[in-house]
Amino acid sequence: MTQLNNALTLFFSLLVEAIPFLLIGVVFSSALLLFVDERKLVAVMPKNPLLGALAGSLVGFLFPVCECGNVPVARRLIVQGAPASVAIGFLLAAPTVNPIVFWATWTAFRDQPEIVFLRIGFSLLIATIVGWVFSAQADLRPLLQPTVAQSMSAPQGSPGRRSRRKPVQSTEPASELLQSGTFLLNSSGQPMRMEAVGAQAAFAASSITTKPLGDRLQMMLDNIVQELRELGGVLILGSAIAATVQVAIPREVILSLGQGPITSILAMMLLAWIVSICSTVDSFFALSFASTFTSGSLLAFLVFGPMVDVKNIGLLLSVFRTRAIVYLFALAAQLTFLLTLIVNLYVS
Amino acid sequence: MTVRPKPIAPPRSRWLGRSFWMLVLDILAIATWGVLLLKYWLTGKINVLLHPDYMWLANVAGFVLLALSLLKAVQLLQIVTRRSARTYVRSLPTMQHFSLFPPGWSSALLLAVAVFGLQFTPQPFASEVALNRGVTDTLAMTRSQPQSFRSTTSPEERSLIDWIRTVDVYPEPDVYTGQQANVEGFVIHPPELPDNYLVISRFVITCCAADTYPVGLPVKLEGSRSTYPPDTWLRVKGSMITETLDGQRQLTIQASQLEEIEEPENPYEY
Repeated sequence: MTQLNNALTLFFSLLVEAIPFLLIGVVFSSALLLFVDERKLVAVMPKNPLLGALAGSLVGFLFPVCECGNVPVARRLIVQGAPASVAIGFLLAAPTVNPIVFWATWTAFRDQPEIVFLRIGFSLLIATIVGWVFSAQADLRPLLQPTVAQSMSAPQGSPGRRSRRKPVQSTEPASELLQSGTFLLNSSGQPMRMEAVGAQAAFAASSITTKPLGDRLQMMLDNIVQELRELGGVLILGSAIAATVQVAIPREVILSLGQGPITSILAMMLLAWIVSICSTVDSFFALSFASTFTSGSLLAFLVFGPMVDVKNIGLLLSVFRTRAIVYLFALAAQLTFLLTLIVNLYVS
Repeated sequence: MTVRPKPIAPPRSRWLGRSFWMLVLDILAIATWGVLLLKYWLTGKINVLLHPDYMWLANVAGFVLLALSLLKAVQLLQIVTRRSARTYVRSLPTMQHFSLFPPGWSSALLLAVAVFGLQFTPQPFASEVALNRGVTDTLAMTRSQPQSFRSTTSPEERSLIDWIRTVDVYPEPDVYTGQQANVEGFVIHPPELPDNYLVISRFVITCCAADTYPVGLPVKLEGSRSTYPPDTWLRVKGSMITETLDGQRQLTIQASQLEEIEEPENPYEY
């Protein structure tokens, strides 16, 4: 009975701490969806692959979206002609390298500031490296889903042809995937809109920034409620898992797993993959393991989690082919493992 | 997973059906969470859940959620009452989108958890959790570092956490021998200690209940510890000695006076 009570107290404590941050994240991403035109952003991105990857990774500071919102934005970037390095860098880093996540992580780990800064630093480093590696693939199209690839008229990374290329507008209703939003594949492999929120649907139909302000605010409200509902549900499941693990699994088991420099990292990376908790609130989840797991493994969770989780695979499949996703994750996983192992062995 | 085709220009009776109730469910779920957050604030139970620095976030979130549900309710009311709003309603099949959950489940889950939260009273952790999490007299390892070291504090004014921080900075127990102690906390009976010792303990919180961890100091009693059952809140006065407990030299309070006190409103130390 006491056990149950403790688990419930833990559960509600996690929720009460995380909900304000979820709310901030959702309001921001809804506002940016309506008020920022990413076509202008693509135009100012550097063409150098390494700088492009770095710039793409830093775009998160302008688009503070968590991993639930970054795949649609990344897809819009690709369709609008952003180089591979920019898009991949954004995809991997934006959920972590943004002010809201920084604040949430600081809230949770202000007693261990190294975790906060290493989280941001490692995410930037990994995203830049992976984005750079992907930029070696001049033509992104073989890696993309056919529907996305068709919407791009010229190979990436060939400046001569880029200038003559007709800019692709996301407003053309040629393919369903050209509309913004979040997609899943159905059984026959066709993409289907996952979050055809009023706002996102309207964004695809015509440039949202030309709509009257009243309509835009109405759509923003719809989008906020929509995302709050979806991500809130995921948050509840994540908090329930965290609370149960803490109370139900014997301490000896967790300690033996959590104190090994290698096993702890592997365990937390696996957990990051399974628990699709939003990056604005995942630091609170990690915090509940702070007393039993090594710092490196907490970092692995905080860096790797936003890059990949079960829920994201569905979203990513709407943009990339399976082969590309395997490369992406394998690279990100190895880099995360390597960097956090260094932390475990040499820093803490 | 299937998706229903968008109903085109649905008659009033149809759009007042499923979509309507989904919207109501959304509004209820968001409003109930707002009420729950504000209830924790008003009843003071937020003390059990959060560090005081972050309570304002939860309180503001409570108001924002209520405002959101209110705005959404007004929007819904306009749809129901105004014919002209029909054009907007046609763009409303937002319920037929894809998500991890079947339509309505997410809102239902949010609502159910919030309603349960209104019934449930969070309890501060007690000695059982402390034993399970392992009481330490150090803040080292993976734990937080001392934030301030106030050497000016005279020994009898140090709280339990002040003592732990002091010992953390300078761990040699003999240094403190003879200093006066006057600390408050709850009682733990660690099985590895003899019957005339108990541990006086407090939980430290840095963010929320998820990261609370216990700290404590052993107390040497005149008689058996069974006079002070676990979870009793005590004020312990005495002087510092060094004992060898469980094979370790350990700063210990030689109790001269033990007084039962009320459990404080705010059970954590910071």
